Amino acid sequence: MGKINVITGRGGTGKSTFTTLFTRYVHAKPLLLIDLDPDESLAKMLGVDMEKEGKWSISDALSRIIAKGKNGKGKDDTPDLLRRMMEGGEIIYRDKKFDLITLGTKFSPGCYCLPDEMIKETLRNINKNYEMILVDSPAGLEHLNRKVTPDIEDLFVILDPSDKSAKHIERIKYVTKGVNITCKNFYLVGNYRFTDEIEEYLLRTGEKYLGRVAYDPLVRERNLKGESLFKLPEDSPSSMSVKKILREAGYVLI
Amino acid sequence: MKGVRHKEVNRMSKKIVSTGRGGTGKSTFVALMSRYLNPPSLFIDLDPDLSLADMLGIDLTKVGKRTIVEALYDAVKERQHGGSPLTPVEDRFKGFMWGDCLFEGKGFDVITLGTKDLEGCYCYPDHLLRKTISDLSKNYKNVVIDSPAGLEHLNRNIVSQIDDLFVVLDPSDKSLIHIKKVKAILKEVGMMYDHFYLLANYMFDEEAEKYFKEAGEIYLGKIEYDKKVEEYNLKGEPLNKLPEDSPAVRSVRKILEKAGLI
Repeated sequence: MGKINVITGRGGTGKSTFTTLFTRYVHAKPLLLIDLDPDESLAKMLGVDMEKEGKWSISDALSRIIAKGKNGKGKDDTPDLLRRMMEGGEIIYRDKKFDLITLGTKFSPGCYCLPDEMIKETLRNINKNYEMILVDSPAGLEHLNRKVTPDIEDLFVILDPSDKSAKHIERIKYVTKGVNITCKNFYLVGNYRFTDEIEEYLLRTGEKYLGRVAYDPLVRERNLKGESLFKLPEDSPSSMSVKKILREAGYVLI
Repeated sequence: MKGVRHKEVNRMSKKIVSTGRGGTGKSTFVALMSRYLNPPSLFIDLDPDLSLADMLGIDLTKVGKRTIVEALYDAVKERQHGGSPLTPVEDRFKGFMWGDCLFEGKGFDVITLGTKDLEGCYCYPDHLLRKTISDLSKNYKNVVIDSPAGLEHLNRNIVSQIDDLFVVLDPSDKSLIHIKKVKAILKEVGMMYDHFYLLANYMFDEEAEKYFKEAGEIYLGKIEYDKKVEEYNLKGEPLNKLPEDSPAVRSVRKILEKAGLI
């Protein structure tokens, strides 16, 4: 069974940037990445164009299955169809360093309960094939209520320097407790906008604080242009700081 | 896509929605808007990570107000513990809603969705809110909705006729993709709007601004970087204490003037 690590936090704090650099430097093979954010930006940061690769997101696959179902084949075997798509390689992108599955954007009314449920089901099936699974969450809290990953090894909360982040930590604890998500380690990570003063302020929350992701003009530039972060120089401030954070959490790096 | 019918039926209340990716400054924009809109306005915080009330300087717990989610819990509990099974949860909720959830302030009122700690999504609380908004909005000149980060709330179609939709952007390619997704979802779920406005957040520089001016949408300007906003948000102090001439306040005023809201 692969260990499941989840990266979460308020919006715009740098969850996907952290996940990308995490992927690049962690020693884990095979490694599965799941992008749970409908705004799907992880793939781009990894330098992957899912569309060009001919890969579907879970939401795409579901709408195809549902459209087909309406055309006569009414039998409700969505999970089976999805599993076959997974085995056939239509919804999983495979790279040297990682495999990637994305939730994708849904354009029909309603919520993400069904696509999320499908990811949960998929994860149950393929978890055993991986040493580690990294989940990049959408901004906010709702995904926690959906309990896609009930048993988390390490939960990383990426923080921005605001009082709202301190409250966000409390709310994560409130929701995870309520829906019964367990995590072995609860880690705080400061984002690139942190200062020493702010670090001290958040240290008072009494949680395990791993350090902060350093400000990096290259990251800013590449995110503006939508370019991959996978080829950032090894010694760039963001790379160095993420490596330090991972070591602090006890990870073996490449 | 003009919401013509809506204007005839409900000329009194303007529906204003602020949305965008996380951390761009949606709530800051909405909080500063509260100074300038013609009263009375109703502010609705749709974000489970509720921060709008804090920014407006309202401590909802202290004044004894509850969130939609809390009122819904109460309604369910009441029905389970001896309440008549004939009264649906929705009707019970309505009874709580007015007195317990609506904060009445000077010039504007506030309602917040709240945080849920049960398994599942926010469809039901959002659905209840959707139903009550149409009742509530009759009493206001403006109904302003502060959205949670991301896209999912749009799929829930809480207000189907929007007058002004503001998308608050951060300077990244992801924001550009976000704009396209917002439009695609609005179209598919059948939400209509009169105006679709882009706003740049405090992190923009000129190069980034240029990039977004060419996005083919109405670009209303930038919310200037404001050291005080950063400081207040860090400490959780309300933004209504910001001086009139601070950069953020001035830029929001300018943006609202351009949008014809002042």
